[in-house]
Amino acid sequence: MALFQVTGFKHYAELRAQILPSGQTHLVDRTNHYNFGTKTQEFAVPVGVDPSSFLKSCDREGGSSAGRYLASNDVNKVIEINPYLLGTMSGSAADCQYWERLLAKECRLYRLRNNHRISVAAASKLLSNMMVGYRGMGLSMGSMICGWDKEGPGLYYVDDNATRLSGCMFSTGCGSSFAYGVVDSGYREDMTVEEAYELGRRGIAHATHRDAYSGGFVNMYHMREDGWIKVCKEDVSELIHRYRKGMF
Amino acid sequence: MEYLVGIQGPDFVLVAADNVAASSILQMKHDQDKMFKLSEKILLLCVGEAGDTAQFAEYIQKNLQLYKMRNGYELSPSAAANFTRKNLADYLRSRTPYHVNLLLAGYDETDGPGLYYMDYLSSLSKAPFAAHGYGAFLTLSILDQHYKPDLTREEAVDLLKKCIEELRKRFIVNLPSFTVRLIDKEGIHDLEKLSSGAK
Amino acid sequence: MLSSQSYQDPGKMKDYHYSGPVEHRFSPYSFNGGTVLAVAGEDFAIVASDTRLSEGYSIHSRDSPKCYKLTDTTVIGCSGFHGDCLTLTKIIDARLKMYKHSNNKTMTSNAIAAMLSTILYGRRFFPYYVYNIIGGLDEHGKGAVYSFDPVGSYQRDTYKAGGSASAMLQPLLDNQIGFKNMEGVQQVPLTQERAVQLVKDVFISAAERDVYTGDALRLCIITKEGINEQTVPLRKD
Repeated sequence: MALFQVTGFKHYAELRAQILPSGQTHLVDRTNHYNFGTKTQEFAVPVGVDPSSFLKSCDREGGSSAGRYLASNDVNKVIEINPYLLGTMSGSAADCQYWERLLAKECRLYRLRNNHRISVAAASKLLSNMMVGYRGMGLSMGSMICGWDKEGPGLYYVDDNATRLSGCMFSTGCGSSFAYGVVDSGYREDMTVEEAYELGRRGIAHATHRDAYSGGFVNMYHMREDGWIKVCKEDVSELIHRYRKGMF
Repeated sequence: MEYLVGIQGPDFVLVAADNVAASSILQMKHDQDKMFKLSEKILLLCVGEAGDTAQFAEYIQKNLQLYKMRNGYELSPSAAANFTRKNLADYLRSRTPYHVNLLLAGYDETDGPGLYYMDYLSSLSKAPFAAHGYGAFLTLSILDQHYKPDLTREEAVDLLKKCIEELRKRFIVNLPSFTVRLIDKEGIHDLEKLSSGAK
Repeated sequence: MLSSQSYQDPGKMKDYHYSGPVEHRFSPYSFNGGTVLAVAGEDFAIVASDTRLSEGYSIHSRDSPKCYKLTDTTVIGCSGFHGDCLTLTKIIDARLKMYKHSNNKTMTSNAIAAMLSTILYGRRFFPYYVYNIIGGLDEHGKGAVYSFDPVGSYQRDTYKAGGSASAMLQPLLDNQIGFKNMEGVQQVPLTQERAVQLVKDVFISAAERDVYTGDALRLCIITKEGINEQTVPLRKD
């Protein structure tokens, strides 16, 4: 041990406390283009008649190509757990990706063991129980688990301190307050699907606009009884120009 | 910013909890039920740090269910309160303490109604009325002033309304609605949700 | 070793004539500079890096390329903390060998990418300080680029720059390969010749302005025929 003191060896936990002051990883903070916690918000709105879990996700790619990349793997902030389950990601990209991939694995295993799909409630609880074990260790994740099961549509919000809430509309990420502003004021019970699409698009577009990030994309998914569909992927800056002309 | 309140009468306990699930500056949910049914005649009201509340309350809830399965009968409210307190106290000295404030309300065939106040430092006391959260600072005095041990159910509900009206008037945070439940020898009854907030 | 550099900003140099108090604190990390870049084409991929290894004001080596050949169709570019780069590439190599011995086949680029993600996340609470970019051919023979952050989040791209001059390279690539910020432009597919020329040009530019990038450029051009390596001199000052 004396050698350790001379060489400046520090116990792992102590090193960790140095490297991750107050549970924050400065290394992770440096990786601006992957840490989309401050850049992205995702939210879901129920479609009037059937409160179909209807999920939109804003996807801001840090200046990466939308061309061929899109064709192969166009979803990087929505994890497709299975055709009936989607998970959104906000916070640290690595944390979200890793834990939701683990969740996808657990959901697949559940299907193989029980011969039926996991419920949205159970899937979200799996994720929340994973978070419990890592509380206070500096994970950063704000996720919405959205799906369709025997109970119908389901939407849950799960975050890094293992909060798990069910609901029919959530928005996560730093710009979520802006998105809430647009969507709360534009929402009606009797909206058509098209109106809901437009409202969601608008929410995300204005939120990214206010966050002073341009060049992002609105990725929109629609969860239906027969599984999710991808509605669109639109450039936020073009949307804003369009809104400017028509709206203001 | 959360608010829990309980008022005990001669043969019942009236409890209320706000419905807001907050995350930093946002209200994520306006219909959150903060009451956990521990048994046929026991309710646990739970507020505190996000994540801890559901985790701890469900742990207690499941353990009481397990107890019932093993023994064929349920814990009395006082036993449930002491069980909850012991768990909270043990966790307080562990590496993962739960930061939760609780009210436990129940009805016992022999002891009658019971209302227990518990905080995150695992103090426990039986009280005729109790409140948690910032709202308690505004409403305990109202309860002190108007509470009487033989109050009727209607009087209890009126007293609760007085408390909520005071919150609406003075409290900085908007708490739009409250779940209200009443426990008596028949079991747990849902009463109409009370609403405050900007009218 | 006690480092006089603050652990909080491993990339920043101290003032030259600084005489104020210095907090000496052990840091397990250092920033050794270097830039990596990968570009994917229809049937090829290019991984490129400079060969300078530096720390603060010193240049440790002028011939330390940051491209590491993993398989016949995959090359990884690592920049950041050189120690972690070496550790990481050795771990990857070992895992590739283990995979080959247990499965009797070599790992595909996308499998390597998925594996690297879990390796990186395994050190979530004491990360490898490495920015990784994998370039290679996917199972259909198409060019593939996977970029990572130090704790394992990854995505597939068509081109990506990482390391000290990434902020200089990326916008130029966005414009020239991604055709971003242009109107009415004909989006022609990227040829190998154009890609190579572009990579050389962006590195020459980066070497002009970034003190941590220079000396030489190592290009690994991955095609189904194999990996062709080239070295191009850059500014040495």
